[in-house]
Amino acid sequence: MNGDGLDPLIHVPTRLKIVVTLAALPDGDGLSFTRLQDLLELTPGNLIIALRKLEEAGYLSSEKTRNGSAQKTTVTLTRQGRAALGAYTQTLRDLLGGL
Amino acid sequence: MSHTSGTAAADNGGTFGPEQAAALLDQTTQRARRKLQPSPPWLLATRAVMVLAALGVIWLSVRGQHPYKGPTAADIPVLIGFVVVNFAATVAVRARAVAGVSGRTRFSQGEIAVLVASFAVTVVAMAVLAADGVGLATYPTSVLVIPGLAWAALMAARRNRLEVAIGIAIVVMGILGAFAGPAGAWAVAAVGLCAVLLGNAVAVARHQHA
Repeated sequence: MNGDGLDPLIHVPTRLKIVVTLAALPDGDGLSFTRLQDLLELTPGNLIIALRKLEEAGYLSSEKTRNGSAQKTTVTLTRQGRAALGAYTQTLRDLLGGL
Repeated sequence: MSHTSGTAAADNGGTFGPEQAAALLDQTTQRARRKLQPSPPWLLATRAVMVLAALGVIWLSVRGQHPYKGPTAADIPVLIGFVVVNFAATVAVRARAVAGVSGRTRFSQGEIAVLVASFAVTVVAMAVLAADGVGLATYPTSVLVIPGLAWAALMAARRNRLEVAIGIAIVVMGILGAFAGPAGAWAVAAVGLCAVLLGNAVAVARHQHA
C-alpha cells in the first residue's frame, strides 16, 4: 500500500484502466488482448508490461490459444483482482469523503 | 463516485492523486460498460419505437374490421420488415459488443439451441392450431408466450433477474392479449412490448452510470 492506503499495483493509470475494464465483464469472463488494446487505446508494448505486473500479482490470468497460425491471448480478472479493485474503490471513497 | 480532472496529466508522468484516480475509475467503468453492453439503451429504445410503430400500424388497420379478418396484405411487409430489421440490428450490435469476449457474456450453443427451438415450437403450435381451424389472426400475441418462457428460463439459469422479469413480462403480455380480442391484442402487443423495451433501456442506462 502507498501512503494513502491505495494498492500500488492498481494505483497507476494504465493498470487501473485494465482492471476496471475487465471488472465490467461478468465474473470469470475474459477479453482478448486485441479487444482490450482497442478499448484502452494503448500500444501493445505498454499493455504487455502492465498485464505482466498484474498477472505476477495474481490479479489477472492469461490464456494463450492457437488457431492455425494465429495466436490469441485472453485476459481474465481473477477473484483476487476483483477483490483488490473493490478494496481500492472503497479506499478511494474513504479518502474522498464518501463522494 | 463522480469526479472530473486531468488524468492525462497522470498518464504523462504527473501526480496521480485520489481525485484523478476516482475520475479515471468512473470514466473507464462507464466506457467499458457502454462498449461491452450487448443490448445498449439506444438500441432498446429504437426497438421500442419500431415495435410501437409496426404493431400500431397493424392495430390501426384491423381495429375497424367487423368481422375481424386480420392484418391486410399491406400490413404484412411492415411486420416482416420490422422483424428483419430488428433481428439484423440486434445481431450486429451484439456481435460488435462481444467481439473478443469469452465466457458467459456470450450465449452458449445450448442456449442458442433453446431459443431457436422455442420459436420452432411456436411455429409448430401455430400450424397445429391452424389445422384445427384456429388461425393466427385470432390470437396474435400468443406467439410471444413460448419464446418469453424460454427467455425467462435461460435468464433464470444465468441468475439475471432483470432479464427474467422481461421474459415474464412478455409471457404476461401474450396472455393478456388473448383476453383483449383479436384487434385489441395488437394494441396490447404494441404498447406492452414498447413499455418492456423502454423499461429495459432505462435499467441498462442506470447500470451504466451507477
